[in-house]
Amino acid sequence: MMGENVLRAARYPFLPEAREFISRNIDLSLESLEKTGSEAALKRAVERVKNSLIFKEVKVTALDELNYVREMLSFPIAIILVSMIMNEYVRRMYALGESRGAYRRMLNESVETLLYIGEKMGVGGVLEDENTIRVKIPTYLRLAYSFHAPHWKLVNRAVNNGYVTMGKTEYARLIQVEVNNYVYEKTLEPVPPGAVPDIFRKAADEIVELWNRLETGKASRIPLKEREDTPPCIGRIIRRMENGENASHFERLVVATFMIARNRNIEEIIEFFSKQPDYKYSVTKYQVEHLAGIRGGGKKYSVPSCRTILTNGLCYPDEYCKGVKHPLRYGEKNVAGEPRIS
Amino acid sequence: MLQASLEFLKREFFKYYYENISRLVPPEPIRSREFGFFLEKGRGMFRHKCFNSLKDFHEFILNAIPLDIYVSAANYEDPGNRDMSEKKLVNAELFFDIDAESVAAVSEEESAWICQKCGQYGIGLIDRCSSCNSPTELVRLVSEKQLKEALRETEKLIHVLTEDFGIAPENIHVFYSGNRGYHVHVNQEDFLNITGEGRREIVDYLLIQGLDEKELLNFLKKGANIEGVSFKGVKRRVYMRILEKAGSMEKLKASGRETVLKTLVNAVEELKVRIDPVVTIDMHRLMRMPESINSSSGMVKRRIRLEDLPSFKPLEEAIAFGDEEACLKVKIVPRFSLGGKTFGPFKDEEVELPAYAAVYIVCKGLGEYAGR
Repeated sequence: MMGENVLRAARYPFLPEAREFISRNIDLSLESLEKTGSEAALKRAVERVKNSLIFKEVKVTALDELNYVREMLSFPIAIILVSMIMNEYVRRMYALGESRGAYRRMLNESVETLLYIGEKMGVGGVLEDENTIRVKIPTYLRLAYSFHAPHWKLVNRAVNNGYVTMGKTEYARLIQVEVNNYVYEKTLEPVPPGAVPDIFRKAADEIVELWNRLETGKASRIPLKEREDTPPCIGRIIRRMENGENASHFERLVVATFMIARNRNIEEIIEFFSKQPDYKYSVTKYQVEHLAGIRGGGKKYSVPSCRTILTNGLCYPDEYCKGVKHPLRYGEKNVAGEPRIS
Repeated sequence: MLQASLEFLKREFFKYYYENISRLVPPEPIRSREFGFFLEKGRGMFRHKCFNSLKDFHEFILNAIPLDIYVSAANYEDPGNRDMSEKKLVNAELFFDIDAESVAAVSEEESAWICQKCGQYGIGLIDRCSSCNSPTELVRLVSEKQLKEALRETEKLIHVLTEDFGIAPENIHVFYSGNRGYHVHVNQEDFLNITGEGRREIVDYLLIQGLDEKELLNFLKKGANIEGVSFKGVKRRVYMRILEKAGSMEKLKASGRETVLKTLVNAVEELKVRIDPVVTIDMHRLMRMPESINSSSGMVKRRIRLEDLPSFKPLEEAIAFGDEEACLKVKIVPRFSLGGKTFGPFKDEEVELPAYAAVYIVCKGLGEYAGR
């Protein structure tokens, strides 16, 4: 590998060549790991995970890059540590930390390097001109559906002949999602208890300890009081229904499931529906109870997501909708802010 | 439906399937598809059925003579499992349904009404019975005009699929549903694995939902050049249509925001492809089997080659039965065209009709079989 490529593999240790480099040059047997300089790599691995939990981002300095063997090796070790901890939150935070760090670094790369990383990660792109990249629609949909800003919606994109066109930054963002998925999936692979040296177990414990400290320092998300936590889409349906306007089947479903989720009692909900032109007490009672899981298979119906509401043409967002993906999340705010640690 | 009518249908259906069984080829691979059937009128669907070979499938059809045949858009690891999640979805074709009714209204003379309460009936679009004033049930015939509109929507859909989504024409299969709409199946490798969420994005794209109107309006206000990369696909079409409707950029800039917004809404109305969103998003959907009979009309779900689309005549080319005469006792039938001929209107009479028209009336529940 050329010198420059070694540094790139250290910067993006999830790339296949980093894996190849390790398996070619480093004896990965347990004994040798304990004997050789892998302690430095282990220390760096712990730092990767800690960075993710605290800063939500794995930072890689120029010095780290020059320490390329340690850097490359620390990535698979960090994955082993996270797998050992078996905590869903730690898994997600670590995947996020690695992918966000990679994203930040990718922004400074040339478009060629970006395309190279994308290609290796299964996010193939084609250079259109110096600032634009084309990505196949299925690839785009697989990665971009999790973004909720309007400009990511396919309908608002430049779509042509099977491709979606975008700038460098957006392309890097798509790769980030794939890196996130890749790291997350890797941490799901179980680690057999006897397969890791004791120092790994100690390192994992150290991370768990940090995680526990972060958890206790964090205030819970506190929902605002009733009126303020009704999102504008549902508020609009409620107002229209209060005026006796005939609501569609879907609108009724949204309102009923929302009220059930907000713990309004069944009679109160039926009373609300009584203003509908085709209102029948028995029918409404049956349907609301069905949605609440009191009748039928006992399955409680959930409130449709923001995406579903949008697809049905009922989304009327306000400024508090930013970042909200589900109506029930509307109005919550993180009172504590960033976690404090000492 | 009387027993004699059901027997008449089954006899005619058998003849069709016996002679045309080789046309019934489900999408590959047959082993990973779920099949569903309606075997009797008014009974639930017999589903979760799977077949090991085309021969088994054909044998089943010739033995059971189903009224309707369906096949899953999805491939499953275990298609016969009754538990949907245990079927283990592998992937699914993209499937679009364009319903003529949501596209255009039906005319008075092609409609009939029946009063469920007093049994009164007549021709026209009447929602209250003329003698007892209770709500009527409307009988929906297949309207040529509606189908023409639906065909136009289908052409719009194919345009977007090929131009924007880059789908190869040979991977697009278009069908007349046999009743009131068109089906489009897309079997292109890299689109098979798109998830439900991704399909929702495709639906929103076709229905032009969630369009960033603000950005578009700002662009229009500035009179900006749209040759830039950000305006391709549906956004570009909307933009161009607005300009077209306004006459020129100067006129558009002179008009107020309200007018521009209204033009935008109208442009979207014209450009959106009226597919049924639920059908496309649902990966577990069962699709009517190509070349099988649709028991709501007695016509066939007929494959249409893309090049034949503009000239396709559903009410002539999807006929499944011959023209030997059959006798029917007819309650009420508005005027209708089928197989290039026009029939009716009929009211309280016994009529002799060619088999294909007789099957149509029986399938619509407007008459009963009364012998040859």
